[in-house]
Amino acid sequence: MDAETPSGKETVEGIEIDYDKLDVAAIMDQVKRAAALAPVEPSEPPREEPPAASIQPPAPAPVAPPPSKPGLKEILKLKLSRAMRPFAPVIRFLGLPLHEEIQATWTEIARISRRQDEFSERLDRVLEKIDQRFSDSAANFDRFRDRLDVRLEDLDRSIEYIRLLHTLEHNLVVEITKLRIEFEGLKSKARILEKDLDAQQQREKVLEKRLLS
Amino acid sequence: MNVAFVVQRYGLDINGGAELHCRWVAEHMARHWNVEVLTTRAHDYVTWADYYPAGTETVNGVIVRRFSVPRPRDPERFGRLQSFILEREHSEKDELDWLEEEGPTSPELLEFIRRHADDYDYFIFFSYRYWHSYWGIRSVPKKAILVPTAEHDPVIDLKFFKDLFRLPRAFVYNSEEERAMIQTLSGNQSVPGIVTGVGTEVPADADAGRFRENHGIRKPYLLYLGRIDQNKGFPQLFDYFLKFKKETGSDVGLVLIGNSILPIPRHPDIFSLGFRPEQDKFDALAGAEALIMPSFYESLSMVTLEAWALGRPVLANARCEVLQGQCRRSNGGLYYENYSEFKESLKLLLASDRLRRALGENGRRYFEANYTWDTIEGKYLEIVRRLEEEL
Repeated sequence: MDAETPSGKETVEGIEIDYDKLDVAAIMDQVKRAAALAPVEPSEPPREEPPAASIQPPAPAPVAPPPSKPGLKEILKLKLSRAMRPFAPVIRFLGLPLHEEIQATWTEIARISRRQDEFSERLDRVLEKIDQRFSDSAANFDRFRDRLDVRLEDLDRSIEYIRLLHTLEHNLVVEITKLRIEFEGLKSKARILEKDLDAQQQREKVLEKRLLS
Repeated sequence: MNVAFVVQRYGLDINGGAELHCRWVAEHMARHWNVEVLTTRAHDYVTWADYYPAGTETVNGVIVRRFSVPRPRDPERFGRLQSFILEREHSEKDELDWLEEEGPTSPELLEFIRRHADDYDYFIFFSYRYWHSYWGIRSVPKKAILVPTAEHDPVIDLKFFKDLFRLPRAFVYNSEEERAMIQTLSGNQSVPGIVTGVGTEVPADADAGRFRENHGIRKPYLLYLGRIDQNKGFPQLFDYFLKFKKETGSDVGLVLIGNSILPIPRHPDIFSLGFRPEQDKFDALAGAEALIMPSFYESLSMVTLEAWALGRPVLANARCEVLQGQCRRSNGGLYYENYSEFKESLKLLLASDRLRRALGENGRRYFEANYTWDTIEGKYLEIVRRLEEEL
C-alpha cells in the first residue's frame, strides 16, 4: 500500500505521461487521437470485402470446339499460327507487362476498395456519434422545454397576480377618495355644530343672567 | 435519534448493489442513531416472493422488520408493461400500473410507515424506482431522505418520478453525475442533497500469490467482478478482449468473478470462476493488472472503489457517465467508448507498470479522501444536522 508514486515524464505507446501531475483527461485526449489515427488492421473487420486472394483472374480462353471439317477460315488461322510459332516467345514477352499491369491495377483497386471500407466504417462511427449527440441534445432540449413550460406557467400566474393587484390598488384609491370627501363633509358638519353650540352657550349665559337678576 | 432505513430486500446473503449499500450504511450509522430497517420478506429480486420469516429479527446488531409481499411480480406481465411505457405514449395511470407490477408491493410495510411515522425522526429510503420508495416517500415526505441509487436507464425518464424527486426533505446521492442527472430531470435543486456514496472495507491480507496458487493462473490478467449480463457490458467485453488478443498478440488473461447469465466464450485466456468468497475476490484484485468495468449503467460501482482501495487501476466503459466521471476526478483509471479506444487504453496500461502504479495510487488517495467509513458517516450526520437546523 505504501507504493512510491512515480514521478517525471514518460512516453509509452506514443502517449506522453507526466507523472508529476498525472491527468487522466489529458491522457485520454491523446488516446482518443491515437485511436482515431490508427489504421484499420487488415484482419480487423469480418466485412464483405473480397479477400486479397480472390482477385479475379483473367477470363479463361474459350474452349476449343470439337474437331470438325476445317473451313477456309480455320485453315488460314492454322497456317498463320504455324507461321507465327517462331515468334511466340516475343509475343508472350510483349504480352507479359500488360498482364502484370492488369494485376497491379486489380491490386490497386482492391487496396482502394479496402480503404473505402475503412472510411465507410469510420463514417458510420462518426454518424453513430452524431446520432447519439443529437438524441442527447434532443433529450436535453425536451427537459429544457419542460422546465421552460413550468417557468412560463409561473410567469402567467405572476402576471395574473399583478393584474389583480392593479385592480385592488385602483379600488383602494377610489375608496380613499370617497372617504376623504366624507371626512370633509363631516368636518363641515362638526364646525356648524360647534358654532351652534357656541350660540347655545351664549344664549344660556344671557338667560342665566336674566333669571338671576 | 430514531432512524428507519427502508429498502426492498435486506439480509446477509443479499449482495445486490443498493441492498448491500443500505446494510453497510445502516450497520455503520447504528453507532450514532437508533437504527431500524423496514423491508420485505423477499430474497429474489425477480419475483419478490416471501422467503424470510415475517416479523422482527436482529442482523449484525440492527433490528430488521420484515413485511410480506402478498402479490409477487409476474415477470412476463412486467416485461410487457415496461415495453409499453418505454416505447409508447402513455398516461400516468400506466406508469402507476407499471410501478405496481415492479413492486415489491407490500401494503403492510406502507401501513407500518404511516402508523409509526411519529416513532421515527427520519426515514431513509433506498432505490427510487421501487414501490416502497414511491409510496413511502409520499406517506412521510417531511421525514423522508432518499438515496436514489439512480442509473441512466430509461425508466428514470418516466413522468411520475419527476414529482417524486421534488418530495423528500433531502437526498443522499452516490455521485456528482447522479445528482446532475436527477436535478436536470426534475429541477429539484431546492431540495438539499449531499454526494456521499458508500464506504468499503478491504482486508489487509489480500494476497495475489494465494489467488494464483489456488486457481493456477500464472499470466498477467485483467479482472472483472460482478454479474455477467447484457447491462454490465457483455458480450461486448468478450468481443473487444478477443479482438485485442488477436490483433496485438498480448498474453494478458481475463478473469471473471461473478454469476453469469450469458454464455462465456471458450478461450484459454478467459477464466470464469463463478461466484467466489470475499477473500478470494480481494486476492484476485490484489494480483490484477487492472480492474475492468464494462458496465453501461452504474450509480456508483462499489468494486471500482474496492479496486482503488487496493491501489489497482481501472479501465472503465466511458458510456457510463458515473464511471468516466470517477476516473477523471480520481485520476485513477482510463476509459473507452469504442474498440479503438479500448485497444489503445489497454495497450497503454499493459505497457507501463509505472502508469498502473500511478493510477492505482491516485485511486487509493481518492478512496481515502472520499470513501472511508468515517467520511461517509460524517456526511450522513451532516445532512441530518442540516435538516434539524431547518426545523
